[in-house]
Amino acid sequence: MTTLFMRLLLAATFLAFSGIAAAEHEHSANEFEVFWAAEALHGTGQSHAGDDDPWLSADVLFGFTEHQFRVFGEYYVTTDEHDLERLQFGWEFTPETLLWFGRFHQPASAWNSQHHHGRYLQTAITRPFIERWEDEQGIIPQHITGALFDTRQSIGNGAAVQFAAGVGAGPAFRDEQYEPIDLLNTNPGRHRLAVSSRLAFLPEYEGANNAGLVFAHDHIDTNSPSILSRLDSHDAVLTLYGAYVDWVFDDWRVMATGYYVDVALDINTRDESFVSAYAQVERTLPFNLTAFGRVESSARMQESKFVALFDDRDGDIDIAVRREALGLRWDFLRHQAFTVELSHIDSLQQRSNEIRLQWSGVFP
Amino acid sequence: MERRIPVMPWPARLLTLSLLLASLPAFANERLVLIASVDSEVEQLDSLEIRKLFLGMTVTRNSGRLRPLLNDSDVQMRNVFLQNVVSMTDTVYDRRILRLAMAGETNLPPRYTDKAALLSAVAANKLAISYAWARDVERDKRFKILRTLWHD
Repeated sequence: MTTLFMRLLLAATFLAFSGIAAAEHEHSANEFEVFWAAEALHGTGQSHAGDDDPWLSADVLFGFTEHQFRVFGEYYVTTDEHDLERLQFGWEFTPETLLWFGRFHQPASAWNSQHHHGRYLQTAITRPFIERWEDEQGIIPQHITGALFDTRQSIGNGAAVQFAAGVGAGPAFRDEQYEPIDLLNTNPGRHRLAVSSRLAFLPEYEGANNAGLVFAHDHIDTNSPSILSRLDSHDAVLTLYGAYVDWVFDDWRVMATGYYVDVALDINTRDESFVSAYAQVERTLPFNLTAFGRVESSARMQESKFVALFDDRDGDIDIAVRREALGLRWDFLRHQAFTVELSHIDSLQQRSNEIRLQWSGVFP
Repeated sequence: MERRIPVMPWPARLLTLSLLLASLPAFANERLVLIASVDSEVEQLDSLEIRKLFLGMTVTRNSGRLRPLLNDSDVQMRNVFLQNVVSMTDTVYDRRILRLAMAGETNLPPRYTDKAALLSAVAANKLAISYAWARDVERDKRFKILRTLWHD
Protein backbone atom coordinates (compact mmCIF):
# COMPACT_ATOMS: atom_id res chain seq x y z
CA MET A 1 0.00 0.00 0.00
CA THR A 2 2.82 2.35 0.95
CA THR A 3 4.70 1.39 -2.21
CA LEU A 4 1.65 1.98 -4.36
CA PHE A 5 1.14 5.37 -2.72
CA MET A 6 4.78 6.35 -3.34
CA ARG A 7 4.63 5.27 -6.98
CA LEU A 8 1.47 7.30 -7.50
CA LEU A 9 3.09 10.26 -5.77
CA LEU A 10 6.16 9.95 -7.95
CA ALA A 11 4.07 9.61 -11.11
CA ALA A 12 2.09 12.70 -10.12
CA THR A 13 5.34 14.56 -9.49
CA PHE A 14 6.74 13.62 -12.91
CA LEU A 15 3.49 14.53 -14.63
CA ALA A 16 3.30 17.84 -12.81
CA PHE A 17 6.94 18.50 -13.61
CA SER A 18 6.60 17.70 -17.31
CA GLY A 19 3.37 19.67 -17.64
CA ILE A 20 4.72 22.67 -15.85
CA ALA A 21 8.00 22.48 -17.75
CA ALA A 22 6.03 22.92 -20.93
CA ALA A 23 4.17 25.87 -19.54
CA GLU A 24 6.91 27.66 -17.67
CA HIS A 25 5.96 31.20 -16.77
CA GLU A 26 7.36 34.12 -14.88
CA HIS A 27 6.90 32.71 -11.35
CA SER A 28 8.17 29.24 -12.13
CA ALA A 29 11.39 27.55 -13.13
CA ASN A 30 12.29 23.97 -13.82
CA GLU A 31 15.38 21.86 -13.79
CA PHE A 32 16.45 18.87 -15.83
CA GLU A 33 20.02 17.63 -16.14
CA VAL A 34 21.58 14.25 -16.71
CA PHE A 35 25.04 13.64 -15.24
CA TRP A 36 26.51 10.64 -17.02
CA ALA A 37 29.77 8.74 -16.73
CA ALA A 38 31.50 5.78 -18.36
CA GLU A 39 34.31 4.10 -16.43
CA ALA A 40 36.93 1.43 -16.92
CA LEU A 41 38.81 -0.14 -14.01
CA HIS A 42 41.69 -2.53 -13.62
CA GLY A 43 42.65 -3.55 -10.09
CA THR A 44 45.13 -6.12 -8.87
CA GLY A 45 43.80 -8.85 -6.60
CA GLN A 46 40.15 -8.21 -7.41
CA SER A 47 37.94 -10.57 -9.34
CA HIS A 48 35.41 -7.91 -10.33
CA ALA A 49 34.85 -4.18 -10.34
CA GLY A 50 34.02 -2.47 -7.08
CA ASP A 51 30.51 -1.58 -5.96
CA ASP A 52 31.33 2.07 -6.63
CA ASP A 53 32.52 1.40 -10.18
CA PRO A 54 29.65 0.88 -12.62
CA TRP A 55 30.94 1.01 -16.18
CA LEU A 56 28.04 3.25 -17.14
CA SER A 57 25.91 5.52 -14.96
CA ALA A 58 23.39 8.31 -15.39
CA ASP A 59 22.15 10.59 -12.67
CA VAL A 60 18.94 12.36 -13.63
CA LEU A 61 18.24 15.56 -11.76
CA PHE A 62 14.82 17.14 -11.96
CA GLY A 63 13.30 20.06 -10.13
CA PHE A 64 10.55 22.58 -10.22
CA THR A 65 10.07 25.90 -8.45
CA GLU A 66 6.76 27.74 -8.26
CA HIS A 67 6.91 30.86 -6.09
CA GLN A 68 8.30 29.52 -2.80
CA PHE A 69 7.34 25.90 -3.39
CA ARG A 70 9.99 23.50 -4.67
CA VAL A 71 10.13 19.91 -5.81
CA PHE A 72 13.50 18.32 -6.33
CA GLY A 73 14.58 14.80 -7.23
CA GLU A 74 17.51 12.67 -8.27
CA TYR A 75 17.17 9.32 -10.03
CA TYR A 76 20.35 7.30 -10.38
CA VAL A 77 20.69 4.55 -12.96
CA THR A 78 23.65 2.25 -13.55
CA THR A 79 24.16 -1.07 -15.27
CA ASP A 80 23.58 -2.73 -11.87
CA GLU A 81 20.94 -0.62 -10.13
CA HIS A 82 18.38 2.13 -10.42
CA ASP A 83 17.14 4.09 -7.47
CA LEU A 84 15.26 7.23 -6.61
CA GLU A 85 18.06 8.69 -4.50
CA ARG A 86 16.32 11.89 -3.49
CA LEU A 87 12.78 13.20 -3.67
CA GLN A 88 12.19 16.39 -1.73
CA PHE A 89 9.26 18.77 -1.41
CA GLY A 90 10.22 22.11 0.07
CA TRP A 91 9.08 25.56 1.04
CA GLU A 92 11.42 28.56 0.91
CA PHE A 93 10.34 30.77 3.83
CA THR A 94 12.84 33.50 3.07
CA PRO A 95 15.62 33.56 0.47
CA GLU A 96 17.98 30.63 1.15
CA THR A 97 15.93 29.25 4.09
CA LEU A 98 14.10 26.06 3.21
CA LEU A 99 12.24 23.28 4.91
CA TRP A 100 12.23 20.06 2.89
CA PHE A 101 10.27 16.84 3.37
CA GLY A 102 11.16 13.58 1.68
CA ARG A 103 14.25 11.48 1.17
CA PHE A 104 17.48 13.45 1.18
CA HIS A 105 21.24 13.10 1.59
CA GLN A 106 22.29 13.54 5.18
CA PRO A 107 24.06 16.90 5.58
CA ALA A 108 26.87 15.57 7.81
CA SER A 109 28.73 14.12 4.83
CA ALA A 110 31.26 16.72 3.71
CA TRP A 111 31.80 15.06 0.32
CA ASN A 112 28.32 13.88 -0.61
CA SER A 113 26.61 17.13 0.28
CA GLN A 114 28.87 18.80 -2.31
CA HIS A 115 28.89 16.22 -5.11
CA HIS A 116 25.88 13.94 -4.51
CA HIS A 117 25.75 11.29 -7.28
CA GLY A 118 27.03 13.56 -10.05
CA ARG A 119 30.38 12.06 -11.00
CA TYR A 120 31.17 14.92 -13.37
CA LEU A 121 31.12 17.34 -10.43
CA GLN A 122 33.88 15.61 -8.49
CA THR A 123 37.39 16.08 -9.86
CA ALA A 124 38.50 12.59 -8.86
CA ILE A 125 36.82 9.46 -10.20
CA THR A 126 36.46 7.79 -6.81
CA ARG A 127 34.88 9.10 -3.65
CA PRO A 128 36.65 8.47 -0.34
CA PHE A 129 35.74 5.07 1.13
CA ILE A 130 34.24 6.63 4.26
CA GLU A 131 31.83 8.62 2.03
CA ARG A 132 30.51 5.63 0.11
CA TRP A 133 26.78 5.17 -0.36
CA GLU A 134 24.89 2.50 1.52
CA ASP A 135 24.70 0.06 -1.42
CA GLU A 136 28.47 0.34 -1.91
CA GLN A 137 29.16 -1.02 1.60
CA GLY A 138 29.31 2.51 3.01
CA ILE A 139 29.78 2.57 6.80
CA ILE A 140 28.02 5.88 7.46
CA PRO A 141 24.26 6.06 6.72
CA GLN A 142 23.77 8.59 3.90
CA HIS A 143 20.03 8.78 3.24
CA ILE A 144 17.33 9.93 5.64
CA THR A 145 13.60 10.07 4.97
CA GLY A 146 12.01 12.84 6.99
CA ALA A 147 12.52 16.60 7.31
CA LEU A 148 15.51 18.74 6.37
CA PHE A 149 15.99 22.36 7.39
CA ASP A 150 18.57 24.32 5.41
CA THR A 151 19.46 27.99 5.81
CA ARG A 152 22.21 30.39 4.78
CA GLN A 153 22.47 33.64 6.73
CA SER A 154 24.64 36.67 6.06
CA ILE A 155 26.92 37.62 8.95
CA GLY A 156 28.24 40.90 7.63
CA ASN A 157 31.21 41.80 5.43
CA GLY A 158 29.84 39.48 2.77
CA ALA A 159 30.40 36.31 4.83
CA ALA A 160 27.71 33.79 5.75
CA VAL A 161 26.94 30.78 7.90
CA GLN A 162 25.07 27.79 6.55
CA PHE A 163 23.18 25.46 8.84
CA ALA A 164 21.49 22.25 7.77
CA ALA A 165 19.78 19.72 10.01
CA GLY A 166 17.86 16.60 9.07
CA VAL A 167 15.81 14.18 11.13
CA GLY A 168 13.86 11.10 10.14
CA ALA A 169 14.06 7.40 9.46
CA GLY A 170 17.53 6.08 8.71
CA PRO A 171 18.50 2.84 7.01
CA ALA A 172 17.90 -0.70 8.18
CA PHE A 173 20.84 -3.11 8.14
CA ARG A 174 20.67 -6.31 6.09
CA ASP A 175 23.13 -8.54 4.22
CA GLU A 176 26.36 -6.61 4.83
CA GLN A 177 24.92 -3.24 3.89
CA TYR A 178 22.47 -0.57 4.94
CA GLU A 179 19.09 -0.36 3.26
CA PRO A 180 17.69 3.18 3.35
CA ILE A 181 13.98 3.68 2.89
CA ASP A 182 13.12 2.89 -0.73
CA LEU A 183 10.45 5.21 -2.12
CA LEU A 184 9.51 2.82 -4.91
CA ASN A 185 9.73 -0.65 -3.39
CA THR A 186 9.09 -2.52 -0.16
CA ASN A 187 11.10 -1.76 2.95
CA PRO A 188 11.91 -4.82 5.03
CA GLY A 189 13.72 -4.33 8.33
CA ARG A 190 13.40 -1.68 10.99
CA HIS A 191 14.19 1.90 10.10
CA ARG A 192 15.08 3.83 13.21
CA LEU A 193 15.83 7.42 14.10
CA ALA A 194 18.58 9.29 12.29
CA VAL A 195 19.71 12.85 13.00
CA SER A 196 22.31 14.73 10.98
CA SER A 197 23.55 18.32 10.86
CA ARG A 198 26.20 20.64 9.44
CA LEU A 199 27.30 24.12 10.47
CA ALA A 200 29.51 25.86 7.92
CA PHE A 201 31.27 29.18 7.61
CA LEU A 202 31.49 30.78 4.16
CA PRO A 203 33.83 33.78 3.76
CA GLU A 204 31.69 34.87 0.79
CA TYR A 205 27.91 34.46 0.93
CA GLU A 206 27.73 33.27 -2.66
CA GLY A 207 31.16 31.64 -2.77
CA ALA A 208 32.23 28.01 -2.82
CA ASN A 209 34.81 28.15 -0.04
CA ASN A 210 33.51 26.75 3.22
CA ALA A 211 34.62 25.07 6.40
CA GLY A 212 32.52 23.57 9.14
CA LEU A 213 31.54 21.04 11.73
CA VAL A 214 29.26 18.05 11.25
CA PHE A 215 27.35 15.78 13.59
CA ALA A 216 25.21 12.69 13.03
CA HIS A 217 23.45 10.22 15.30
CA ASP A 218 21.99 6.99 13.87
CA HIS A 219 20.18 4.12 15.56
CA ILE A 220 20.79 0.89 13.65
CA ASP A 221 18.83 -2.29 14.23
CA THR A 222 21.20 -5.29 14.14
CA ASN A 223 18.74 -7.88 15.35
CA SER A 224 18.95 -10.35 12.46
CA PRO A 225 20.51 -13.73 13.47
CA SER A 226 23.52 -13.47 11.14
CA ILE A 227 24.47 -9.97 12.30
CA LEU A 228 23.70 -10.74 15.93
CA SER A 229 26.06 -13.71 15.88
CA ARG A 230 28.95 -11.60 14.55
CA LEU A 231 28.35 -8.39 16.51
CA ASP A 232 26.84 -9.78 19.72
CA SER A 233 24.57 -6.76 19.99
CA HIS A 234 20.89 -6.23 19.19
CA ASP A 235 21.44 -2.70 18.00
CA ALA A 236 24.14 -0.15 17.36
CA VAL A 237 24.10 3.59 17.83
CA LEU A 238 26.50 5.50 15.61
CA THR A 239 27.51 8.98 16.65
CA LEU A 240 29.67 10.92 14.22
CA TYR A 241 31.61 14.10 14.94
CA GLY A 242 33.54 15.72 12.13
CA ALA A 243 35.21 18.79 10.75
CA TYR A 244 35.94 19.70 7.17
CA VAL A 245 37.33 22.40 4.92
CA ASP A 246 36.87 22.98 1.19
CA TRP A 247 38.93 25.97 0.11
CA VAL A 248 40.35 27.41 -3.10
CA PHE A 249 43.62 29.36 -3.02
CA ASP A 250 44.33 30.74 -6.48
CA ASP A 251 45.00 27.63 -8.59
CA TRP A 252 44.89 25.27 -5.64
CA ARG A 253 41.91 23.59 -3.99
CA VAL A 254 42.10 21.71 -0.71
CA MET A 255 39.36 19.43 0.61
CA ALA A 256 40.09 17.85 3.96
CA THR A 257 37.73 16.01 6.29
CA GLY A 258 38.09 14.13 9.55
CA TYR A 259 35.44 11.99 11.25
CA TYR A 260 35.38 10.40 14.68
CA VAL A 261 32.73 7.67 14.84
CA ASP A 262 31.55 6.16 18.10
CA VAL A 263 29.68 2.83 17.88
CA ALA A 264 27.65 2.16 21.03
CA LEU A 265 26.62 -1.50 21.35
CA ASP A 266 24.56 -3.48 23.87
CA ILE A 267 25.43 -3.10 27.52
CA ASN A 268 27.26 -6.46 27.59
CA THR A 269 29.35 -5.69 24.52
CA ARG A 270 32.28 -3.34 24.46
CA ASP A 271 31.66 -0.12 22.55
CA GLU A 272 33.87 0.72 19.60
CA SER A 273 35.13 3.84 17.93
CA PHE A 274 37.24 4.64 14.91
CA VAL A 275 38.64 7.62 13.09
CA SER A 276 38.65 8.22 9.36
CA ALA A 277 40.15 11.17 7.50
CA TYR A 278 41.07 12.21 3.98
CA ALA A 279 42.63 15.17 2.21
CA GLN A 280 42.43 15.91 -1.48
CA VAL A 281 44.53 18.58 -3.15
CA GLU A 282 43.80 19.82 -6.65
CA ARG A 283 45.82 22.10 -8.91
CA THR A 284 44.44 23.67 -12.07
CA LEU A 285 46.88 23.63 -14.98
CA PRO A 286 46.92 25.11 -18.48
CA PHE A 287 44.80 23.53 -21.24
CA ASN A 288 41.85 22.85 -18.87
CA LEU A 289 43.81 20.20 -16.99
CA THR A 290 43.47 19.58 -13.26
CA ALA A 291 45.91 17.41 -11.32
CA PHE A 292 44.75 15.89 -8.05
CA GLY A 293 45.97 13.72 -5.24
CA ARG A 294 44.16 12.25 -2.26
CA VAL A 295 45.25 10.48 0.90
CA GLU A 296 42.76 8.53 3.00
CA SER A 297 43.64 7.09 6.35
CA SER A 298 41.96 5.63 9.40
CA ALA A 299 42.57 4.40 12.91
CA ARG A 300 41.01 1.41 14.70
CA MET A 301 38.86 0.35 11.73
CA GLN A 302 40.68 -2.97 11.44
CA GLU A 303 39.76 -3.88 15.02
CA SER A 304 36.11 -2.92 14.69
CA LYS A 305 33.58 -5.78 14.58
CA PHE A 306 30.99 -3.33 13.35
CA VAL A 307 33.12 -2.25 10.38
CA ALA A 308 33.86 -5.88 9.53
CA LEU A 309 30.12 -6.47 9.02
CA PHE A 310 30.32 -4.46 5.79
CA ASP A 311 32.99 -6.61 4.17
CA ASP A 312 30.96 -8.96 1.95
CA ARG A 313 34.02 -10.72 0.44
CA ASP A 314 32.48 -10.75 -3.00
CA GLY A 315 35.76 -10.26 -4.84
CA ASP A 316 36.11 -6.50 -4.68
CA ILE A 317 37.37 -4.12 -2.01
CA ASP A 318 34.63 -2.91 0.33
CA ILE A 319 36.53 -1.33 3.18
CA ALA A 320 39.82 0.51 2.82
CA VAL A 321 41.82 1.50 5.85
CA ARG A 322 44.23 3.55 3.71
CA ARG A 323 44.34 4.79 0.15
CA GLU A 324 46.59 7.06 -1.87
CA ALA A 325 45.30 8.30 -5.19
CA LEU A 326 46.74 10.46 -7.96
CA GLY A 327 45.07 11.60 -11.12
CA LEU A 328 44.60 14.02 -13.94
CA ARG A 329 41.36 15.45 -15.29
CA TRP A 330 41.00 17.08 -18.69
CA ASP A 331 37.90 19.19 -19.35
CA PHE A 332 38.25 18.80 -23.11
CA LEU A 333 34.82 20.17 -24.03
CA ARG A 334 32.19 22.22 -22.28
CA HIS A 335 30.45 19.82 -19.85
CA GLN A 336 32.68 16.87 -20.73
CA ALA A 337 35.78 15.62 -18.98
CA PHE A 338 38.20 12.76 -19.25
CA THR A 339 39.92 11.56 -16.06
CA VAL A 340 42.61 9.04 -15.20
CA GLU A 341 43.21 7.96 -11.60
CA LEU A 342 45.82 5.66 -10.08
CA SER A 343 45.50 4.44 -6.53
CA HIS A 344 47.01 2.14 -3.97
CA ILE A 345 44.69 0.64 -1.35
CA ASP A 346 45.22 -1.15 1.94
CA SER A 347 41.92 -2.89 2.65
CA LEU A 348 40.84 -5.04 5.56
CA GLN A 349 41.99 -8.16 3.69
CA GLN A 350 44.59 -7.21 1.11
CA ARG A 351 46.54 -4.60 -0.79
CA SER A 352 45.65 -3.53 -4.29
CA ASN A 353 46.72 -1.16 -7.05
CA GLU A 354 44.05 0.27 -9.30
CA ILE A 355 43.84 2.28 -12.48
CA ARG A 356 40.64 3.94 -13.58
CA LEU A 357 39.62 5.85 -16.70
CA GLN A 358 36.44 7.88 -16.81
CA TRP A 359 34.60 9.91 -19.39
CA SER A 360 31.97 12.05 -17.66
CA GLY A 361 29.67 14.86 -18.58
CA VAL A 362 26.37 16.58 -18.10
CA PHE A 363 23.49 16.98 -20.52
CA PRO A 364 22.24 19.44 -21.71
CA MET B 1 77.47 52.15 -51.06
CA GLU B 2 73.94 53.37 -51.19
CA ARG B 3 71.43 51.33 -49.28
CA ARG B 4 67.76 51.45 -50.14
CA ILE B 5 65.13 51.53 -47.48
CA PRO B 6 63.12 48.38 -47.95
CA VAL B 7 59.60 49.07 -49.15
CA MET B 8 56.86 46.64 -48.24
CA PRO B 9 54.89 45.47 -51.27
CA TRP B 10 51.21 46.50 -51.20
CA PRO B 11 49.73 43.01 -50.55
CA ALA B 12 51.94 42.69 -47.48
CA ARG B 13 50.92 46.19 -46.33
CA LEU B 14 47.26 45.27 -46.74
CA LEU B 15 47.77 42.08 -44.77
CA THR B 16 49.58 43.93 -41.98
CA LEU B 17 46.83 46.56 -41.80
CA SER B 18 44.17 43.83 -41.64
CA LEU B 19 46.01 42.08 -38.83
CA LEU B 20 46.33 45.34 -36.92
CA LEU B 21 42.62 46.03 -37.29
CA ALA B 22 41.76 42.49 -36.26
CA SER B 23 43.90 42.81 -33.16
CA LEU B 24 41.94 45.85 -31.96
CA PRO B 25 39.15 45.05 -29.50
CA ALA B 26 36.03 44.44 -31.50
CA PHE B 27 34.01 45.94 -28.63
CA ALA B 28 35.69 49.34 -28.64
CA ASN B 29 33.39 51.92 -26.98
CA GLU B 30 31.03 49.15 -25.93
CA ARG B 31 28.98 49.08 -22.71
CA LEU B 32 27.55 45.95 -21.12
CA VAL B 33 24.33 46.82 -19.32
CA LEU B 34 21.98 45.02 -16.96
CA ILE B 35 18.48 45.02 -18.35
CA ALA B 36 14.91 44.28 -17.29
CA SER B 37 11.51 44.63 -18.89
CA VAL B 38 10.16 48.18 -18.85
CA ASP B 39 7.26 46.75 -16.78
CA SER B 40 9.62 45.37 -14.15
CA GLU B 41 9.39 46.74 -10.62
CA VAL B 42 13.13 46.27 -10.22
CA GLU B 43 14.91 49.60 -10.12
CA GLN B 44 18.32 48.66 -8.79
CA LEU B 45 20.47 45.66 -7.97
CA ASP B 46 23.79 45.84 -6.16
CA SER B 47 26.87 43.84 -7.17
CA LEU B 48 26.30 41.09 -4.60
CA GLU B 49 22.66 40.66 -5.66
CA ILE B 50 23.71 40.44 -9.31
CA ARG B 51 26.34 37.82 -8.51
CA LYS B 52 23.85 35.81 -6.41
CA LEU B 53 21.23 36.10 -9.12
CA PHE B 54 23.47 34.74 -11.88
CA LEU B 55 24.62 31.91 -9.64
CA GLY B 56 20.96 30.92 -9.46
CA MET B 57 20.44 31.94 -5.83
CA THR B 58 17.21 33.51 -4.66
CA VAL B 59 16.91 37.28 -5.12
CA THR B 60 13.45 38.71 -4.64
CA ARG B 61 11.64 41.99 -5.30
CA ASN B 62 8.13 42.55 -3.96
CA SER B 63 7.93 38.84 -3.11
CA GLY B 64 8.70 37.87 -6.70
CA ARG B 65 11.74 35.72 -7.38
CA LEU B 66 13.91 37.31 -10.05
CA ARG B 67 14.86 35.11 -13.01
CA PRO B 68 18.35 35.42 -14.46
CA LEU B 69 18.73 34.78 -18.19
CA LEU B 70 22.23 34.17 -19.55
CA ASN B 71 23.02 35.97 -22.78
CA ASP B 72 25.33 33.66 -24.73
CA SER B 73 24.64 35.24 -28.10
CA ASP B 74 28.12 36.72 -28.27
CA VAL B 75 31.41 35.14 -27.14
CA GLN B 76 32.97 38.50 -26.18
CA MET B 77 29.95 39.41 -24.09
CA ARG B 78 30.12 36.05 -22.28
CA ASN B 79 33.78 36.65 -21.51
CA VAL B 80 33.09 40.17 -20.22
CA PHE B 81 30.21 38.83 -18.10
CA LEU B 82 32.35 36.06 -16.59
CA GLN B 83 35.29 38.34 -15.84
CA ASN B 84 33.41 41.36 -14.56
CA VAL B 85 30.14 40.12 -13.10
CA VAL B 86 30.69 36.69 -11.58
CA SER B 87 34.52 36.91 -11.53
CA MET B 88 35.04 33.29 -12.56
CA THR B 89 36.40 31.38 -15.51
CA ASP B 90 33.95 29.65 -17.80
CA THR B 91 34.66 26.19 -16.37
CA VAL B 92 34.56 27.32 -12.74
CA TYR B 93 31.27 29.16 -13.28
CA ASP B 94 29.68 26.16 -14.99
CA ARG B 95 30.74 23.76 -12.27
CA ARG B 96 29.67 26.18 -9.54
CA ILE B 97 26.11 26.55 -10.82
CA LEU B 98 25.87 22.83 -11.55
CA ARG B 99 26.99 22.07 -8.00
CA LEU B 100 24.41 24.45 -6.54
CA ALA B 101 21.73 22.92 -8.75
CA MET B 102 22.79 19.43 -7.68
CA ALA B 103 22.43 20.49 -4.05
CA GLY B 104 18.88 21.69 -4.77
CA GLU B 105 19.88 25.22 -3.82
CA THR B 106 19.30 26.82 -7.23
CA ASN B 107 17.74 26.50 -10.62
CA LEU B 108 20.22 26.77 -13.46
CA PRO B 109 19.84 30.09 -15.28
CA PRO B 110 18.50 29.48 -18.81
CA ARG B 111 21.01 30.20 -21.61
CA TYR B 112 20.09 32.02 -24.80
CA THR B 113 22.34 31.86 -27.82
CA ASP B 114 19.91 33.83 -29.97
CA LYS B 115 19.87 37.56 -29.18
CA ALA B 116 16.34 38.16 -30.44
CA ALA B 117 14.99 35.25 -28.39
CA LEU B 118 16.73 36.53 -25.27
CA LEU B 119 15.40 40.07 -25.69
CA SER B 120 11.88 38.73 -26.28
CA ALA B 121 12.13 36.60 -23.13
CA VAL B 122 13.24 39.58 -21.03
CA ALA B 123 10.54 41.82 -22.48
CA ALA B 124 7.85 39.22 -21.78
CA ASN B 125 8.74 38.56 -18.13
CA LYS B 126 8.83 41.37 -15.63
CA LEU B 127 10.89 39.25 -13.23
CA ALA B 128 13.56 38.46 -15.84
CA ILE B 129 16.99 40.05 -15.57
CA SER B 130 19.70 39.80 -18.21
CA TYR B 131 22.52 41.74 -19.81
CA ALA B 132 23.23 43.02 -23.29
CA TRP B 133 25.35 45.48 -25.22
CA ALA B 134 23.93 48.97 -24.66
CA ARG B 135 23.71 49.58 -28.43
CA ASP B 136 21.19 46.70 -28.71
CA VAL B 137 18.76 47.92 -26.06
CA GLU B 138 19.13 51.62 -25.26
CA ARG B 139 16.70 52.72 -27.97
CA ASP B 140 14.31 49.84 -27.43
CA LYS B 141 11.28 50.92 -25.39
CA ARG B 142 10.63 47.39 -24.16
CA PHE B 143 13.60 47.58 -21.76
CA LYS B 144 15.03 49.59 -18.96
CA ILE B 145 18.72 49.69 -18.18
CA LEU B 146 19.36 49.02 -14.50
CA ARG B 147 23.07 49.72 -14.50
CA THR B 148 26.25 49.56 -16.53
CA LEU B 149 28.15 46.38 -15.73
CA TRP B 150 31.22 47.15 -17.80
CA HIS B 151 32.41 49.71 -20.30
CA ASP B 152 35.34 49.87 -22.65
